[in-house]
Amino acid sequence: MENILSNIPVLAGTVVNKMDSWDHLVLIILAAIAAFIPRYLPMLFFSKREIPEWFNEWMKYVPVSLFTALVVKGIFITTAGYHFVPLGHVNQIIAAIIVIVITYMTRSMALSVISGLIAVFVLTVFL
Amino acid sequence: MTLITDSFIGGTFLKREEPNWLAVLKISMPLCLSYIPIGLACGILLHAAGFNFFMTLLVSVVVFSGGAQFLIASLLTINAPIISVVITLFFLELRYALLGSSLSRYLKGQSQHFIWLFSVSLNDENYAVNYLKFATDKTWTPRQALMVEHYSLLSWSVSNLIGSLIGSALTIDLEIVDFALTALFLYMIVMQIRNRLTLLISLLSGVLAIAFMVWTKSTLGLVLSTLVASFIGFMIEARIRKSKANISEHWLFRKVRGPAATRKTIEDKSTES
Repeated sequence: MENILSNIPVLAGTVVNKMDSWDHLVLIILAAIAAFIPRYLPMLFFSKREIPEWFNEWMKYVPVSLFTALVVKGIFITTAGYHFVPLGHVNQIIAAIIVIVITYMTRSMALSVISGLIAVFVLTVFL
Repeated sequence: MTLITDSFIGGTFLKREEPNWLAVLKISMPLCLSYIPIGLACGILLHAAGFNFFMTLLVSVVVFSGGAQFLIASLLTINAPIISVVITLFFLELRYALLGSSLSRYLKGQSQHFIWLFSVSLNDENYAVNYLKFATDKTWTPRQALMVEHYSLLSWSVSNLIGSLIGSALTIDLEIVDFALTALFLYMIVMQIRNRLTLLISLLSGVLAIAFMVWTKSTLGLVLSTLVASFIGFMIEARIRKSKANISEHWLFRKVRGPAATRKTIEDKSTES
């Protein structure tokens, strides 16, 4: 995918170091469209018709699958080169376990995220 | 929902209607408060990724998704091209197709303009509040649901703006703030795991994500693992539903309960009745 992208000269050349506010604005507009379409079209469509059962049954597993994939990417995959590093971020692994336990106990989003941030901060400083 | 409170006026108790905006604000309050720390972290991170305060405010209003904004910030800091960021974002936001369609039955008969307005500021958390209200409270109206969305949007964007402004005054280890994204997703995973099959699919998706990302060397691996894992979950459930009359008796559908799982969800009610 990255190879295809580098053939698009304008877009591939715009990286954060060179990005100015206009690039950011373009990104925000595209991001807003990408965020808007999945929210709007199904809602518009299904507020007039019934939702097919199989679609619902399948989509039920999409969020949990995607969130896990993203967590795994954050903790076990290097950002440069996409290598698998099982113990590359021990601090994040321990903090992740703490977040899971806190969520399990409290079911509070704010508490879970804040305790995760504190844990990863403390572990990064002391490990 | 009865909005009547007793007040002591002129020596007698009078039934007084609480104004609508205040009643809805009270319902939105826990959500608005929990957005503050996450919004601040998001603003700080977007500032570090190079967004000025106006861009941060703009993105928090038009995208209005914690996960998506954290993703924008972390992909920008690793110099990902715009197109790559937008494609990853699109797949991240695809889950709203599910959330939107599950709310749509309560929005039947609303105008096109209302549907547009409602979907623009839909997100995970205000969806959860509204879905629960619609399902449990017969008097809950689409207008009130929209108001919940707008209160949460206000709280979120102001927190982002403040985060962006204090971000320039602070020097922060990015890896630490970036973990807010991981923590947010972990929270959402734990909240979604209701039975053993969901847990199994979650683990499967994690393994597949590693395999596909190492193989494709890109975030395309995220999309592939999501599609494959969710489809396997769908197939397993369909197979079990065919062979068993009551799926909650199957070992894969045993509930995973947390000590704080006091909030009854719609799924719980539909399987119990």
